Amino acid sequence: MRYYRFGNPEGRFIGNTEKYAAYENVISEHRHEIGAESYQNLPGEFTFAYGPATGGLIESVAFDLHTPGELIKHVGVDPYVKTRPLKIRGLAPQDALLMVERINGFHAASNALAFEMAVEDALDIDVPDRVWYSRLIMLELERIRSNLEVVKRVCEPAGFGVPQNQISYLRENVARIISRLAGHRYFFSASSIGGCQISKSGIETMISSVKREFGEIFNALLESKIFLNRLQNNGNINEGDLLGPAARAAGRNVDARLEEMHMPYADLGFKPFIFDEPDAFGRFYVRSQEILASTDMISEALEHSGNSSATDTAGASGEGAARVESPQGDLFYYVRITDGRIEDIQMSSPSLLNIEAFRKSMAGNIFTDYHFNWESFGIWISELAVVIQ
Amino acid sequence: MSSLWFLNGVRKGIKTERYPSTDPAAAPQWPSRLSGSNGGNCPVDAITPEGWIKEKCIFCRRCVPDYQPTGDQDIFTVKKTEDTFLKSFHLFPLDSGACGSCNMEFLSIFAPQYDANRLGIFMVNTPRHADAIIIMGVMTQGMKEALDRAYEAMPEPKLVIALGACAVTGGIIGNAPLDREKYHVEIAGCPPSPYTILSAINAARGGSNMRRDSGSGNREAD
Repeated sequence: MRYYRFGNPEGRFIGNTEKYAAYENVISEHRHEIGAESYQNLPGEFTFAYGPATGGLIESVAFDLHTPGELIKHVGVDPYVKTRPLKIRGLAPQDALLMVERINGFHAASNALAFEMAVEDALDIDVPDRVWYSRLIMLELERIRSNLEVVKRVCEPAGFGVPQNQISYLRENVARIISRLAGHRYFFSASSIGGCQISKSGIETMISSVKREFGEIFNALLESKIFLNRLQNNGNINEGDLLGPAARAAGRNVDARLEEMHMPYADLGFKPFIFDEPDAFGRFYVRSQEILASTDMISEALEHSGNSSATDTAGASGEGAARVESPQGDLFYYVRITDGRIEDIQMSSPSLLNIEAFRKSMAGNIFTDYHFNWESFGIWISELAVVIQ
Repeated sequence: MSSLWFLNGVRKGIKTERYPSTDPAAAPQWPSRLSGSNGGNCPVDAITPEGWIKEKCIFCRRCVPDYQPTGDQDIFTVKKTEDTFLKSFHLFPLDSGACGSCNMEFLSIFAPQYDANRLGIFMVNTPRHADAIIIMGVMTQGMKEALDRAYEAMPEPKLVIALGACAVTGGIIGNAPLDREKYHVEIAGCPPSPYTILSAINAARGGSNMRRDSGSGNREAD
């Protein structure tokens, strides 16, 4: 492993895998304890069950809201109701990739690239510079779409139908850009071990249009005091382990792109957007700024990007790990490959820590705050509710 | 831009396409109907000596160049229609174990480009208000009871729609939530595009996809 080593916990905690705890540069064989908190209703309080299947949620997840009626005293979240077993061990890396892409289809590029980078680390595969630029474009396009979806869903409970639909329109346009670039609206089968296949014709103009249109909507939203009032001081959280936009909204300078060794973020002058409002407004603001910043990075990266075919991994052995900044935060993969087959694979999703942060941030808020706060974290259950076999 | 949202909306003009009355404005190649012969190397056995099986296909492109995408979005099968729902059709989505991409493509049919509401197609938050259940993803133990209870809670008449390769055949991930004979509509794709979903849902309630058949109803997309 070139970037990770096994050892004692050190640096920022990223998350737990099935067997390990992942930190910035260290993998610990002892999983990090994340306290499971139970709650007994006080006299006059009851438990309001929400989910797992309801049209108000994108994915199946079960909530227990403990309340005397309006104030939420405690939230229990069960993200494991739709846990999927995925048979990945024993597969060749290129076959495993088909499964990895579907761990979280909405963040398929992040999952695929983190896995590919872990395999390339394990097998000492060199990737051409132009491909790293292409991969950066994929990640940033995925971030734009994901952040647009979060901003759209934050507008929804406010009853802001016009910006909600205008952002929905932009999100669909980005899906079409992705389809044009990667051949698939969710990046499925667009990248490979050691390679990448994209088509960049006409992308720059389309991305500029997304930036201009979103910038107008964002500025108008910032003038809407009623909307801002629903977000500010809703879901305050600046304690414990935070990742991604939630951490950056709370003033923490954490971003896997800062530590990226291959993708040319440093060459493009990347600096994370840091804010000092650790609430739903801060998360909305950081994600919106990241949409604008990502469009600029893509425009710059396009001229340097290019393709390369997949590398044959037959018969190869090794151990590797990698981490990327998915739209939700640090996403970590570890692989051990023997004779060209995946012997072990471990994955840590940012959903784990983001759900814990959401749970803590919800206590003391009221029911009408709930949807704003939940959506502001941009959590994806599918990424957490998997058991890799 | 003014924060007077009504004016903002009007100034943007109409963004909705006329699909399914006309051809799709931006049909993706993957997924779409594949055309070809021979081939192999299919990880889900969707390529057989008899041809391509759309419900199994995950559109991973490994069969290229033996098979090529045609851009045709009508990759669904409607086994039963309910004309009762022709004017208003209420859908309850249920994620039995999806990766998230089918969920997002289903939501996309309500984006301005597609605007399913203009066709009288709506999403509801409870199965008690639903005319059809949209099942997405593979079967998972934890969602079995929720699926059974949602189905039982729906009033008659009702339709069961399987959306995506996982829900129809299990795809590459696992097993389908229900036996295929229980599905009234099967929508292929991994995930299916919003065009395919909209066309299939419209056909399920006896709607006319005019570009194809001048009003007789698109009962079988095969």
